[in-house]
Amino acid sequence: MISDFFFPQPGSGIESHIYQLSTKLIDRGHKVIIITHAYQGRTGIRYLTNGLKVYHVPFLVVHREATFPTVFSFFPIFRNIVIREQIEIVHGHASLSNLCHEAILHARTMGLRTVFTDHSLFGFADAASILANKLLKFSLSDVDHVICVSHTCKENTVLRASLDPLMVSVIPNAVVAEDFRPLGYPANPAENSVKTRGPLPPAHPLGPHETITIVVISRLFYNKGTDLLIAAIPRILAAHPNVRFIIAGSGPKAIDLEQMLERHVLQDRVEMLGPVRHEEVRDVMVKGHIYLHPSLTEAFGTVIVEAASCGLYVVCTRVGGIPEVLPQHMTTFAKPEEDDLVAATGRAIAALRSNRVRTDRFHDQVKMMYSWTDVAERTERVYKGISGALSEEEFYGSHPGGGWSATRGRAGVQGFSLIDRLKRYYGCGIWAGKLFCLCVIVDYLILVFLEIWAPRKSIDLARDWPRKKPIENGIVDDREDARFPASARVVRRRSGRDGWRDGRVVDPG
Amino acid sequence: MLNVPVRLSIRRPSPTTVSYTVSNAPSRTSFSAQATFYVTIILRVLLAISALAVAVAKFTQVSGAQKVPGAQILFESTSLGTFSDGIATRFSWKIVFPAVAAIIYAVVQKGYTEESLLVIRGLGIQTSTSSSTYLSTAATRFIPTNEIRDIFIHEAFKGFEVRFYLAVVVRGEEDVVVVFPNLLPKRRMLEDLGSRHASQSAGISNVP
Repeated sequence: MISDFFFPQPGSGIESHIYQLSTKLIDRGHKVIIITHAYQGRTGIRYLTNGLKVYHVPFLVVHREATFPTVFSFFPIFRNIVIREQIEIVHGHASLSNLCHEAILHARTMGLRTVFTDHSLFGFADAASILANKLLKFSLSDVDHVICVSHTCKENTVLRASLDPLMVSVIPNAVVAEDFRPLGYPANPAENSVKTRGPLPPAHPLGPHETITIVVISRLFYNKGTDLLIAAIPRILAAHPNVRFIIAGSGPKAIDLEQMLERHVLQDRVEMLGPVRHEEVRDVMVKGHIYLHPSLTEAFGTVIVEAASCGLYVVCTRVGGIPEVLPQHMTTFAKPEEDDLVAATGRAIAALRSNRVRTDRFHDQVKMMYSWTDVAERTERVYKGISGALSEEEFYGSHPGGGWSATRGRAGVQGFSLIDRLKRYYGCGIWAGKLFCLCVIVDYLILVFLEIWAPRKSIDLARDWPRKKPIENGIVDDREDARFPASARVVRRRSGRDGWRDGRVVDPG
Repeated sequence: MLNVPVRLSIRRPSPTTVSYTVSNAPSRTSFSAQATFYVTIILRVLLAISALAVAVAKFTQVSGAQKVPGAQILFESTSLGTFSDGIATRFSWKIVFPAVAAIIYAVVQKGYTEESLLVIRGLGIQTSTSSSTYLSTAATRFIPTNEIRDIFIHEAFKGFEVRFYLAVVVRGEEDVVVVFPNLLPKRRMLEDLGSRHASQSAGISNVP
């Protein structure tokens, strides 16, 4: 797993996606390491729960925690890590992460299988998008498989990077449903399964004058639709007397939001919580009845799944991948415009007031729909498909006469020979194609140089996390500088017991 | 990184002490290797003496012979003296002095690093890193047993690669003390050493 975006950065969906997926893949018996760049006060190598190893590579950060694009500078250290950890598949995340694109290029040069997961949607029109799309096209020209979080995202990525749709899979995000329980839901559902508990009690009916709380949790950026929210809140509050808002999150638009509150004197009906940590999101959500999600662009929208899991009725804009996420009975959709958002919120309030929505059942339904185990299983299938463990027909389905390009060997699995790779990159554009080819050739030369300068066999192999052996508790130390592999300690302890008095002297040299 | 192979040698000066020495010096066990080593030392000394003689000769020429008593006799009577005097007269001081400095610098360089860890049971450990020249002594650091909080092997970024290191957590210090900080031996060597370290100083590893 490789991405610029990982903890300790306060997470949007990507960080938790990487973490959850890695954890589940480890549970399935794979070895997973995460490579990201160094954050403030966090450089070096760390172990997370379950032996998930994270490399925080020291790099220069330019914008919103993305690293500076220096096409080749990452190669030596990347090669070192890949060799010492005996990596077979490189899985990059997020299209704005330069680390991920570089890693995919280098991994292909080194002859590894690559997967890329796209988490976001992009436009085609403005200059920044054009540049980003070109970069994406560069790194995805030679990738083995692409995973998108929704079908809309898949369509977007296929168009942006001119990919063969068959090599793009859709695997949605998931939520840890246990972390997003509604109020009063038993912590351990096993004891209170439907059989022992009997049918669910009827929902707590909402009185006609009871206050309905609308929750908004989002980073307050333009693309999250904060402007829409600012326009809609006064109108919603004017139309519905017993309604109040809870808004959590921070960002550049927070000041506009506060100005709006002061202008309309709505401080008593709108509560601003400021930034909340991901663990606290549930506690905020369960205070409300409706979750309002005014985003202007969203590839998946994990947060609305979390809201539904907490038993909230969801009002959201019909943009991006959002319509795919939740079934009809959990959501009210609006067009991404002020009038329709107000109307949709009105419909949602009316539906709740008439008690037509069984929000108390949402949690169980969401739990059935989304789980990280399922995501990991499907990702594992992609890994098997690209590494050849699954046959072509099984993985891609049968497509007689499917137009595989001449540069491919087995359909969908990209050959590693340099000339094939160059053919694929050359198709990127009149000038870009030649530039990309040049980059690939330079990358290859760097690899040749590195093989001489730091020979493969001189690189120390890292120890795997000891999975099978039960480890004594308390071995993993929480101190800042002492996140050491328990394996080293285990060795030390064991020989401390049996080799204490015999005094053998063995020179390992 | 072009690594010279690192060797580990273990000595036991007394029943309660063990010294682990890690070195990238070429091995000198055979007779010819030892002979070459001593011949090199003699050559180094001769080179240093002649370089110094050239410097003194040039100095006397530049400053005037009267100021250095006895120099005149030295440079006229001995063969080394006349040789260095000849070189000194041929080149200007702008060439001679930097050249002499460079030669002396090259001569005193050891060309290898030796780092060691001395474990004294019940007392503590002493780390030492050999200096890069013959003139200065090794940098050592003694850590008493009751100051050691923990010893671990971990990985870190070093240059363009990831290396294993053995480190000692010292009570009341923010940074850990890295043992063998320059040579950074391979994981196998460190683990082997770590296990033996524990066996040698069981008292240390029981400190909370």
